[in-house]
Amino acid sequence: MNRKNQRGHAMIELAVSAGVMVACLAGTVQFGYTFYIYNELVTAVGNGGRYGAMRTYRAATPADIEKGKAAIRNMVVYGDSRPAPGTPPQVANLKPSQVEVAVFMDDSGQPESVNVSITDYNVDAAFGMFRFTGRPAVEYPFVGRFAPAESEP
Amino acid sequence: MSVAMVVMLAVMGLAFDFGRIYIARNEAQVFTDAAAMAAASKLDGTDAGLVLARQAVAKLPMRWNLGTKSFTGVVVEFSPDRQSWARVTAPDNQVEITFLRAVGGPAVFTVPAHSVAAAKPVRLVE
Repeated sequence: MNRKNQRGHAMIELAVSAGVMVACLAGTVQFGYTFYIYNELVTAVGNGGRYGAMRTYRAATPADIEKGKAAIRNMVVYGDSRPAPGTPPQVANLKPSQVEVAVFMDDSGQPESVNVSITDYNVDAAFGMFRFTGRPAVEYPFVGRFAPAESEP
Repeated sequence: MSVAMVVMLAVMGLAFDFGRIYIARNEAQVFTDAAAMAAASKLDGTDAGLVLARQAVAKLPMRWNLGTKSFTGVVVEFSPDRQSWARVTAPDNQVEITFLRAVGGPAVFTVPAHSVAAAKPVRLVE
């Protein structure tokens, strides 16, 4: 076999394997990045849930309850309950509106647990899009102070 | 060619399998953190408190493996005086390995987690 023929073989081999290799590498990038983002989201909702569980639950008016939930959302997104303007989110493109906070009450009307989850979040992983709704989610028992007559400062 | 294949499987395995392992580890840790707090918050020095604590752990809806699997074999332990602390262990979260198995890795990788919580946690003044 002469050298010219060998070069032809190599070209065909490359043409056949390039498709598979590019697909494998694209998949690796896509899943690797998505998993990285998901892991960051797990950490963020975990921290937010813990904060919500230990925070004073002030319930003088519905507006106070909403303020408390907004503080928990900020903790998930920015790592700070009162972020300075322009603070970047901890996870790429995460917004407070994509964090769902629910406080469950027990039979006596006291807060029992705090549930924090991610909703409608899209991971743009270069070659495809993944959408997370309802997960990751955490539920922490409420161990903070219950202040039904106090207002948020 | 076959050398390149092995290298490529290893690279894919590092990204895919380790990605899942780290997520499972994180999910398990967040679960045991919450579960230990839930258990510790029910402790009152009585046997009834221990029952309530175990119920509180069982009631937690959290899941692992990208939020799809329930935690199994969860162990809840308490301080001898039944009112100081609770320890929760999630011992058998087995992540199935996809790519690294083809290059000599294990079939499953277990990521246990455990947490201890005090019965009277520090509350935030905020």
